[in-house]
Amino acid sequence: MDQIYIPKNREGLGIGEYVIVRGVLGGEVRSEGEEIKSRRPFFYGVEEKIEGIKMRIIGEIFRIVDESEGKYENVIITGSFLDRGFGFNDVDILLVGQGGGVEKIKKKIESGIGIKGHVILMGREELIKGVASDPLYLLMLSRFVARKRTSYNVKRKINYKLLDFYLLKSKVLLSGFDELNGNEKYYLTRNMVAINLFVRGAKIGVEEINSMIKKIFELGAIEKIKENMIDKKDFLKKYKKFYDETFELVMRGVGDGTK
Amino acid sequence: MGQNRNKLLGLFIGNISNAIIHKILERAIQIEEIARRYGKEIANSFDIARRYRKKINPLGRSFPEKDVEEIKERIIKNVKSELGVRIARGYKGISLDDVEEIVLKLSRTPE
Repeated sequence: MDQIYIPKNREGLGIGEYVIVRGVLGGEVRSEGEEIKSRRPFFYGVEEKIEGIKMRIIGEIFRIVDESEGKYENVIITGSFLDRGFGFNDVDILLVGQGGGVEKIKKKIESGIGIKGHVILMGREELIKGVASDPLYLLMLSRFVARKRTSYNVKRKINYKLLDFYLLKSKVLLSGFDELNGNEKYYLTRNMVAINLFVRGAKIGVEEINSMIKKIFELGAIEKIKENMIDKKDFLKKYKKFYDETFELVMRGVGDGTK
Repeated sequence: MGQNRNKLLGLFIGNISNAIIHKILERAIQIEEIARRYGKEIANSFDIARRYRKKINPLGRSFPEKDVEEIKERIIKNVKSELGVRIARGYKGISLDDVEEIVLKLSRTPE
């Protein structure tokens, strides 16, 4: 039997008395009608402990979704919100299912919690397809907190034409360096690196991508890009080289006749 | 000032070209949900082009006809060259016939 120590002068609880202990989001909390009100979230690829305040936000998001009109198979929280600290701009929320009411959920999150929710609605089948063929989906689901237990381990399916399409997005940085802020630059760089790793069959995760970015651009910290503190000439030279290499990898696949 | 205008114009054209290439590749891939899934991403190039446009004279009204023609030609050249690289590498299903039509349609769209 587990033991929990509390001050002996705690009112209402005698020494040796049996109690029920449950977390804030905790266990399975049942109302009088035995209806499950909330469950402990499931963590995937989350290695560091998530700050208490963020856990409360996650719980609140789950509650808002539960009380919405849509029916969702699962709710997934991902992205920079799960990074250590409070440097996130919004919370990436993936609703898996066919339910509607996304706009209402967004508004409720914004007015109720005071943070911006980037909400995406997607059917399970579409999500599985995305994870198999899109490096950014793979990255998104390399680390997440879910409402329910789940698994998105699917075999990679390389569609080179699709990867060429995704990679083109990163070309914007070459002609838009001055107009893009640090976060946009990081996002486009991450996209390019994720595609490179995907084609080469390497593991894709936040850590893997960040360490590759640091290596390519010889950076001490990834924040240098996010905070727009990079040397334009040097960065663009290395960026173009890596972009061309990745484009070459992708084109080789397109040329081999893979659809 | 003139040199700066040319540079900004080049960046403006580069980003519009990128958006059009995206559109044509989207057609070539023929995956139904791609437009829904990546519509915002494609709009990114247009968004940056818009940011550049706000820095190029004349502000608040259309480019003079002479500039419009030059911009159209440069975009068509850019797009065809970028798609040509792919076709030369064995990419099937890209139609260069649509380029002029898309650029023309775009030039008629209010800024």
